[in-house]
Amino acid sequence: MTNKIEIKNLTVNYVERGVNNTALDGVSLTVKEGQFISIVGSSGCGKSTLLSVLEGLLPPSEGEALIDGVPITGPGPERGVVFQQYSLFPWMTARANVLFGIRQAKRGISHKDARLLADEYLGKVGLLDAAGRYPSRLSGGMQQRVAIARALAMDSDILLMDEPFGAVDAKNRTILQELLLELWQNEAERKTVVFITHDLDEAIFLSDRIILLTDSPGRVYRDIKVDFPRPRYRDELMGSLIYDDFRRELFADFFGDKNRAAENDGVII
Amino acid sequence: MSTFNAELTPKRRFLRVVHLLFLAFLAIQALAPAYSKIRGKTDLLVADAPLYAIIFIAAIELALILVSIFAKKNSALTLFADLASVVYILFIAWTLATAKFNVLREQLFPPPGIILRQAVQDARPLLGHISASLLLIVKGYFLAAIIAIPAGLAFGSSERFGTAATMVSKFIGSIPPVVYIPYGIALLPAFKTVSAMVIFLASFWPILGGTMSGVMLIDKPIINSARVLGVPKISMLWHVTLHAALPQILLGAQQALTVSFILLTSAEMIAAKSGLGFYVKNYSDLGNYTRTIVGVLVIGVVISLVFFAFNKLQKFLLRWK
Ligand SMILES: Nc1ncnc2c1ncn2[C@@H]1O[C@H](COP(=O)(O)OP(=O)(O)O)[C@@H](O)[C@H]1O
Ligand SMILES: [Mg+2]
Repeated sequence: MTNKIEIKNLTVNYVERGVNNTALDGVSLTVKEGQFISIVGSSGCGKSTLLSVLEGLLPPSEGEALIDGVPITGPGPERGVVFQQYSLFPWMTARANVLFGIRQAKRGISHKDARLLADEYLGKVGLLDAAGRYPSRLSGGMQQRVAIARALAMDSDILLMDEPFGAVDAKNRTILQELLLELWQNEAERKTVVFITHDLDEAIFLSDRIILLTDSPGRVYRDIKVDFPRPRYRDELMGSLIYDDFRRELFADFFGDKNRAAENDGVII
Repeated sequence: MSTFNAELTPKRRFLRVVHLLFLAFLAIQALAPAYSKIRGKTDLLVADAPLYAIIFIAAIELALILVSIFAKKNSALTLFADLASVVYILFIAWTLATAKFNVLREQLFPPPGIILRQAVQDARPLLGHISASLLLIVKGYFLAAIIAIPAGLAFGSSERFGTAATMVSKFIGSIPPVVYIPYGIALLPAFKTVSAMVIFLASFWPILGGTMSGVMLIDKPIINSARVLGVPKISMLWHVTLHAALPQILLGAQQALTVSFILLTSAEMIAAKSGLGFYVKNYSDLGNYTRTIVGVLVIGVVISLVFFAFNKLQKFLLRWK
């Protein structure tokens, strides 16, 4: 499989009131086409910063980020984005939000086709009945469903998700995780997904690979393959012994050695 | 019959009080002797004037009954009953103080019937004055909105320029626009142009300021959501910035509308030959206070209706909130 995303020695500095704050320090990472990777780290470690670079909203201070071998210069319709909140425009109905995304990605699409496409994806996330509602009349979980429907309907190769289920209650979060997996697996050509979370269980359940970042400044601390076969079923997976072992090791890695590694860098947590 | 079922809720009891007020008004009109009759004076009080007051109040009562039968929303009935009670009390007090006991000076304070009668008689010229006034508002206000909103969207998009422009617009906007009137009269020969220009100037700054602050207050995540979709610049202004800033734009527009009416009436009182301000000023100069009061009340009604429509429009445009 070809490399879809390449991040080479990426460093991002924020300068605020003359003070330099290094958010990411020399991050290198390659994501293969069709892979689902999760980036995990505690809050403030630079996860959103990393995704902003991939979104094309933030230029690297050093190093580079490439998609299909071409350096990112700005946002593009080949990348669909879902944020934790405020992905949708509050003055557009659910359907209008999806339609708006479709029109940006597929310029010149006829009104009828766009509408069919929008309703198809709203149906896939189970929200056809709520299509005429404004985001303020939708629960947080429903809003994220619409955002996912929009990202998928835009038919971009890459899906960038920044803690998309972080503000959703536990029950709905598991439902959304399963929905996302199902939609992703059933696509004719699987999208490359970069998924940010601080929930390790979520990362294991969803991903092919988990990247653990160190605390600030963010560096790649571990790059872990998740080999559980797909399609994955939550109950089956979480009841198995190998899952328990994997999870224990990952948690130990995340909470134990990482702090030590950070301390070694002179960072106090 | 047991009285058990007839127990009154506070709302029904209040409604009953309102109906009683209506009957009290009728009783006062019919039974209390008119002051003029006692004194044998008939010059000022026109014989059929009380009829106008009675018809007016009866129309309100009829509407109240219809609302209490057909209104779907309870809040609508409560509001209407409150309003009716206030109008009834006002009419009772006014009638007693004027036509019945003549506590107030009769040339300055004609009874309600006389005023209503005058309003009906002057309906045609009043409509002319209303449309003359509204035409000036439309010209000045809409021209201001058409220029200020795009300008505000453009200025607000740059943080540094927006901040500077906001300070300038606050400074100019803080000047009471009435001071432009004499200047405008000196500058432009035709009154209508002067008024429209003054209204334009007065409306422009609040709308510009509202639009700029609306643009500058847009949440960063909203902008980012639009940028990652790859929305082009023009489309961004139209589909995103304008909508996101709309609550603030409408706030500025409402402020501008208030100022517009203040200015309009002031300008009409200074230099016009038509319009509601002119009507009031002209008749008060002539000592016809019945018509003066008619003019004042009509101004109140027109402005209330305009703001009612504005609020409806605002609610509709911000229905997503
Ligand atoms: N726009 C910004 N300006 C300045 N500093 C920022 C900005 N965004 C993030 N940071 C800083 O960069 C670091 C990483 O932030 P972020 O990428 O949001 O972390 P995460 O998403 O992992 O919680 C934090 O120390 C944060 O304070
Ligand atoms: Mg974040």
